[in-house]
Amino acid sequence: MPREAEPSLSERTFTLQAISEGLRVLAKVSAEVTVPFPDRPFDGIFQITSELGPMVAPSYEVNRPTETEVLLARLLEKTIRRSGALDTESLCLVAGQKCWSVRVDLHVLSADGNLIDSACFAVVAALRHFRKPDTSIEGETLTVYTPAEREPVPLSWLHSPFCATFDFFGDEGDIVVVDTTWLEEQLRVASCTFSLNKHGEICQISKLGGRPIEATLVIQCAQMALDKVKEFTDLLDAKLAEDAKRRDKGGLMAELSAENDR
Amino acid sequence: MPLDTSTYSLALLRIDGRRWNDLRRLHAQIHTQEAADGSSYLEMGHTKVMCVVTGPAEPQAGQQKRGTAGGGGAGALGGGQKDAASIVVNVVVAGFSSVDRKRRGRNDRRIQEMEITIQKALAANLHTHLFPHSTITVSLHVLSQDGSLLAALINATTLALIDAGIPMTDYITACTAGSTSSYAAGDDSADPLLDLNTQEEQELPFLTVATLGDSDKVAALVCESRVQVSRLEGMLVVGVDGCRQVRRLLDGIVRAKGSKMIKEGVVQRSDLMAVSLEE
Repeated sequence: MPREAEPSLSERTFTLQAISEGLRVLAKVSAEVTVPFPDRPFDGIFQITSELGPMVAPSYEVNRPTETEVLLARLLEKTIRRSGALDTESLCLVAGQKCWSVRVDLHVLSADGNLIDSACFAVVAALRHFRKPDTSIEGETLTVYTPAEREPVPLSWLHSPFCATFDFFGDEGDIVVVDTTWLEEQLRVASCTFSLNKHGEICQISKLGGRPIEATLVIQCAQMALDKVKEFTDLLDAKLAEDAKRRDKGGLMAELSAENDR
Repeated sequence: MPLDTSTYSLALLRIDGRRWNDLRRLHAQIHTQEAADGSSYLEMGHTKVMCVVTGPAEPQAGQQKRGTAGGGGAGALGGGQKDAASIVVNVVVAGFSSVDRKRRGRNDRRIQEMEITIQKALAANLHTHLFPHSTITVSLHVLSQDGSLLAALINATTLALIDAGIPMTDYITACTAGSTSSYAAGDDSADPLLDLNTQEEQELPFLTVATLGDSDKVAALVCESRVQVSRLEGMLVVGVDGCRQVRRLLDGIVRAKGSKMIKEGVVQRSDLMAVSLEE
């Protein structure tokens, strides 16, 4: 019988704090072994939940999703889940019986505009940094190894989508601003979010209403979004590489050695 | 691929026999409900929707709260509950509307997103400042789904609002546009397609675009599928052009209904009317 994986906080969960001016988003990934949905026996379970509580602004209530929250959840779902960034088939352990359930909990601690872009960045960063326990199958027996037995493995990650939001100002909506603060957001006449990866693939576009914008401007914004996304990709790659270097102590041999700094 | 690419490349005809820039049959009626302030029924191919507009009316006790929730984050609407009418949009998708019967609750996020999109697009287009302290309620019912659902909902809403006589800047019309190759970066011969049905929507990348009147101004743009950024321009151009075609059709329907009402004596012909009704 497969046993429930023992979580070890340092290895299995990773908290990322995207701290920009006054904006903090916390994304936390956890994984557990469960039974897959009966209609998709070969897929693992992957879900993203977001919560905007009264901590962000007094107008948000617990258990009563506001418009912002609905749009944020939909956007993350379209950008990361529907675009196939995570290979859910790789989460399947025994078809129809056992699979990994990966869950991302997004907590917004304080918001000062541009919530969507930072939330998406935090989720992608957390998922790429996440390591799940290694497993092996012998016949019918599934073994989940603790981090001490075997090095945890990263998720099968296919591409990294990022969001770029453009806000439009002015009567004609021809003034474009990126990365707006909360105050600026109150004055915008329209906004448009593009989700792309560095290969120039659009995962999602949403300009949900607002003042009508010239079509040519939308095309220009899409090109700008691609440049921004490439910047984001480089930033995240650099951060992850730095972290991997810091964690890599030279494997088991270094751990077993009796040498120390003294 | 179920979209028969072999016949498409040979004859350039889609599965339902249309060419790349053909709209499906668009049939619409306005003033279908006698009791309502404004109503419409619209078919785009096999997608069938009904729209009923109530208002501008005094907000009901329960509605005020929902209206605030709907308009809360909208920058265009701001906190303008007092000096402008608030817009409430409800979309109900009938259980029998698609092939497999599926119950969709009120909390379905996909439907909520469509409601917000329509509500925000209307907020920027309608002259809500003329009706302070009031609510305009738009109820949409989806009777049958065969692709371009959001586009059909937006078009039906525009017609119903015209029937209700609510002042607006111009028509907001919408349609979908797709691209024939799903994901092959090197495929330059990919044609953009106009007005996709369900089968094409499942196979191909597509976007829904809504424009204001005859202009190139994009009121709403929703894309949910993976597509190369270089493809966007072609799809958008075809979509905007399709919106113009839809506008022409809707305008024809409104004019036909208007002249019929005058002939029947329901309304008086105004001397100020500059347009000729005989066509």
